[in-house]
Amino acid sequence: MMWPFGKKRPKTDDADEERGLFLFYDVAEAIKAEAVLKANGYEVELVAPPPNLRGGCDLSVAISRVEHVGAERVLMEADVHPKEWVNDTEGTAEVCDLVTTVDFGEWLMVRAGNMKIVVEKATGTIVNTSGGGCPDIPYLNLELVGKRVDEVPRPKDLGYTLCGLMLDRAYVEVRSLLEAGETT
Amino acid sequence: MSLLVVATYPSSGGPVLEGPVALESDGTLTIAGERIPASQGTSAMLGAACQVCAYLGVEPPVALVAGDIGRGDGTRAVFARLAEVCQRTAPTVVAFHYMQPIMALMRHAVAELTECAPGVTLMADAGGMYAAKAAGLASHFELMTPDVGEVGFLADPDVTHPAYVSHYLFGTNGFDPVELARTAHDTGGASRVLLIKGVRDHIAEGGEVVEVVEAPCVPELEAIGGTGDTITGLAAAFLGAGFPTVEAAVCASRANRAAGVAMGAKPHHRASDLVTELPQVFAENLCAWAGVCSTPQ
Repeated sequence: MMWPFGKKRPKTDDADEERGLFLFYDVAEAIKAEAVLKANGYEVELVAPPPNLRGGCDLSVAISRVEHVGAERVLMEADVHPKEWVNDTEGTAEVCDLVTTVDFGEWLMVRAGNMKIVVEKATGTIVNTSGGGCPDIPYLNLELVGKRVDEVPRPKDLGYTLCGLMLDRAYVEVRSLLEAGETT
Repeated sequence: MSLLVVATYPSSGGPVLEGPVALESDGTLTIAGERIPASQGTSAMLGAACQVCAYLGVEPPVALVAGDIGRGDGTRAVFARLAEVCQRTAPTVVAFHYMQPIMALMRHAVAELTECAPGVTLMADAGGMYAAKAAGLASHFELMTPDVGEVGFLADPDVTHPAYVSHYLFGTNGFDPVELARTAHDTGGASRVLLIKGVRDHIAEGGEVVEVVEAPCVPELEAIGGTGDTITGLAAAFLGAGFPTVEAAVCASRANRAAGVAMGAKPHHRASDLVTELPQVFAENLCAWAGVCSTPQ
């Protein structure tokens, strides 16, 4: 079920009652876990851990409680190591998924939250990235700018933080718009 | 007065660098003689700060940085050196910028600075701001420079990263920076002064908006990575040079916009293009804006 982005999850939802969280030492591990579990057919979601379990830049994976044991085995086999399992999702929040676009004529800017990616429409070349404040953002800027969107790895595969994850959402959107020819 | 910038640079495993920052004639930035990669982020921030210091004839900023591409290793390395560098450099202003937002490290750092440099002025942007707010330390800071998305983060006491901010707080329907500045202040999520960067820049003091800078409007600047960082660098350097905080923020906002006009900003430009324009912007405007009218040394 999709909640409006950023909203805190109430405990009254039956589906939530049955879910728990894998916590990780860093965002990159959580993103890797999501990919591994999805590839193995699990329904999972990236969410913020509850406030009392946060260290600053955190991401956790929510999954049905009954699938916890099997999912953990799949993660270990993939060399992904959760820090902890929490048998509850109260107090979690979803990552913001607000995506907007700005047309600059020759260029298109897509924002996901406060992260932005700008492409040259005619060539699909990434001419700028901006926003955010985590240290992978300047790194992603160096890795992505000057290259075509269809020639670079996804930001979430290069980055390590929530800012990188948000930039990935902008990247996915701009690729979708370019491929659909909706940028002119 | 002296400015110390605590941050990271985008290089995997890059060593800790500490020392004066120099902006070379070709636009290259060096710290203690070592070149750091030109990108958005702290290099843009430091470039703008260097231009202010050079124009005003004050000491250049001192940086304490390390390579970090998001794993947090460089962030931990700079925090480990902070107390030692503080004792040696005796900064009057410390600015935290791009870094892994780790609340525990920021709590420790603020405690160290309070002991090492009593009365030091703290400012933060980017990951430094995220960590300070999430750790409940925002009110210890004199200045923060959030963008329109980040001010929503400061105003929401329950979130620890802007990625989790509720959508209604962002710069879309119902977005109200005046109200958000007040809420951020009232809930302990704001520094004493906020410079909220956007189409209109709002400067709030004690939760109340005291200045709005909206002209010239250069929408293309939002697309250029690092042009928010240059505002932060300008404000930090003006603060370090002794400007009152609100005046530092207003001058930073005005100078960034004027440089955007001067560079003929387009979405494919670089923040370094803006930094190049700053000396001329200062020469033409700082007298009127801040009474700095003498010829730079």
